Amino acid sequence: MGVGAWIMLLFGATLLWGGLVFFVAYYFRAGRR
Amino acid sequence: MGSAIGLGNIWRYPYVAYENGGGAFLIPYFIALLTAGIPILILEWSLGNKYRGAGPRAYWNLSRRWEWVGWWQVAGSFVISTYYMVILGWVLAYTYFSFGTQWGSDTEGFFTGDFLGVSDSFWSVGGFQLGVLLPVLIMWAVVYWLLARGINRGIELASRILIPALVVMILIVVIRGVTLPGASEGLNVLLTPDFGALATPGVWVAAYGQVFFSLSIAFSIMITYASYLPRESELSNSGLIMGLANSGFEFLAALGVFGVLGFLAVQQDVPVTEVVSDGVGLAFITFPQIINELPALNSLFGFLFFGALLFAGLTSAVSILEACVAAVREKFDLSRTMALNVVCGLAFVVSLLYVTKGGLYYLDTIDHFITNYGLALSGLVETVLVAWILRQVGPLREFINEGSFISVNYWWTIALNVLAPVALFFVVGFSLFTDLTEAYEGYPVSGLVLLGGGMAVGIIVVGFIFQAIKWRERRDAS
Repeated sequence: MGVGAWIMLLFGATLLWGGLVFFVAYYFRAGRR
Repeated sequence: MGSAIGLGNIWRYPYVAYENGGGAFLIPYFIALLTAGIPILILEWSLGNKYRGAGPRAYWNLSRRWEWVGWWQVAGSFVISTYYMVILGWVLAYTYFSFGTQWGSDTEGFFTGDFLGVSDSFWSVGGFQLGVLLPVLIMWAVVYWLLARGINRGIELASRILIPALVVMILIVVIRGVTLPGASEGLNVLLTPDFGALATPGVWVAAYGQVFFSLSIAFSIMITYASYLPRESELSNSGLIMGLANSGFEFLAALGVFGVLGFLAVQQDVPVTEVVSDGVGLAFITFPQIINELPALNSLFGFLFFGALLFAGLTSAVSILEACVAAVREKFDLSRTMALNVVCGLAFVVSLLYVTKGGLYYLDTIDHFITNYGLALSGLVETVLVAWILRQVGPLREFINEGSFISVNYWWTIALNVLAPVALFFVVGFSLFTDLTEAYEGYPVSGLVLLGGGMAVGIIVVGFIFQAIKWRERRDAS
């Protein structure tokens, strides 16, 4: 895989899955309050 | 209640991304998600939650004159359910065919010839295809059974079991896919960014279109589901989670799909671009081919792939039909079973059309027209109506913020007032332009106008007819 492809893979993974994990975590934290 | 994940995630996104700048597509895609996808999703959740009802009831409560928009969307969902069930039938058949790769070496010949028995021209309907009818009947039985069990014991239970199973299956497919020899070739094609593509308007239209279709917006599904939630539920965060989960899933699935496409290309010694396809062709022609070529455990891989498609499709089919059932039940004050019988019975009869030998043509035509002029157009009307005509964005924003941890702020207002309607306008305009300049798939124009156009106009007419019918008094009227 080329460098560009790797960068986009990381970019997509961070934004989408990272975002998802973040908001799910937020949901549970806020839910307990 | 995660029923946004459907067949489109698995077989549409990879191809759209590849066509529109590869890795660079992620940028407009992500922008589209933030400016249109998630905001409209949150809007529909809040509409259903605030105005307490499935599509038509919610619109009626919003403003008496606009009930038809709700029925328009419900009618669209109904049309989609009729052919979606047939595709599910195909998937079920192929899950079965995976055992011992019963499709043989000529996968295309098997699909169009042996399995569907596609007739030679658009207008020759032919007879029923029994091999297709049987799995379609089974799927109808399963879906009917799930819906009959009600919201909690049927739909919710099914999602709770099927969605995790789906994710596990897709994960296995992806891990297998990216570890196959040649997978990196495929991933290269999928991910290598072509930033020049960002200057092309078509790429942006494709990004908005993809976000829109894959989130099942404007089906009236989200409005219906949100009406079952208690008042002042968490709305904005759920919207964010759902939007991201849906996109994360399709991104993941794309890796698997292009991994195995790279493998196939290397096996056949052709460039990856030669084997790329989407939709029905990808799932039922290219994938069986790939499964044939696998070094080991062919049947298991096939079973996992088609099983995943089946689960993804099943939850979506149930949610699409639920939107129709709920709307009919509320309007005519029927019992759930009665409404279910009416909707499913009608949808079943219509779905038989696609089980004929000419079925593939009709299915393809209807699918094309409903996504472009049913969903996208009614989504455009929906945003214009709420934002511009009734000016409800402000009040809804307050409503959402009462119950949510994450407040929606000015980006939501801007997205709904400006960005989403404008983007949708271009999506609809773009496809209208393409359809007017060339006949879709080279099908006869008479067929396209009659079936496709007729249906697109028909569901609007249905909207007005249903608006004209009076609401039956609710027994529990307060």
